Amino acid sequence: MPDEFQSIADSLYRERVLRARCTPSEERILDGPRLFDYACSVTLAGLRSELPCASEEELRQALHRRLEIGRKLELVR
Amino acid sequence: MSDSLAITTLVIAALSRSGMPHVVVGSFARNFHSFPRSTKDADIVLAVDPPGLARFEAELGGGFSLDPQTTFETNTGTFRHTLVHTETEFKTELFLLSQDAFDQERFRRRQAFQFGGYPSFVLTAEDVIVTKLRWFRPKDVEDIRDVIAVKGPTLDWNYIHRWTSVHGTRAKLDEIQASIPKID
Repeated sequence: MPDEFQSIADSLYRERVLRARCTPSEERILDGPRLFDYACSVTLAGLRSELPCASEEELRQALHRRLEIGRKLELVR
Repeated sequence: MSDSLAITTLVIAALSRSGMPHVVVGSFARNFHSFPRSTKDADIVLAVDPPGLARFEAELGGGFSLDPQTTFETNTGTFRHTLVHTETEFKTELFLLSQDAFDQERFRRRQAFQFGGYPSFVLTAEDVIVTKLRWFRPKDVEDIRDVIAVKGPTLDWNYIHRWTSVHGTRAKLDEIQASIPKID
């Protein structure tokens, strides 16, 4: 990475660290599942657009397949 | 409350009510000690006997399905049960406390906290780092970096160095530390 970009990246990382230090740990741990549900809602919106005729159950199954692919990829990485 | 958070809270509440000795590990522990990141599984280590598992299942109530068979987790070398909630995609992996010396010590050092109002335990920041150095999957490198950056000034480095010497992971730790920009 060029030096000027590295310096911007470091500065952004530092801000993120300092912000995390100001947030209670008990709050940060609750954000993981909240973010997961948000990610699922975004993926479902994408699936609805790809599969406009799919029922809610078919969309749920498609989401399940996507997540299983993600889990498998995580294991082999 | 989000579905996944509600489910995790139900699991922690059932562990608490059944008096099951446990510790929250994995990405939840990582988030506790660094930045929040999306997590699709809750990983929990249990010190459990068969009657204890039955008590826990009874406390869980309906809607959950616990795989009665343990499976061997090759990344971590431990046995686990998978717990799923039938209406969501969120999973809970229940790992059995092993006889491994480090597994025992990190369990003994676990840190008490409140999860959504229920008493629970989470790995200490030092044990998140030592554990992830041992597994060393690609995502672990970033996690170790983030925990050190956030908790750096308060970490017990003697403890971390003792276990990284035992596990032969000290060089990896030094390399990650060198990649962290100056924070303070």
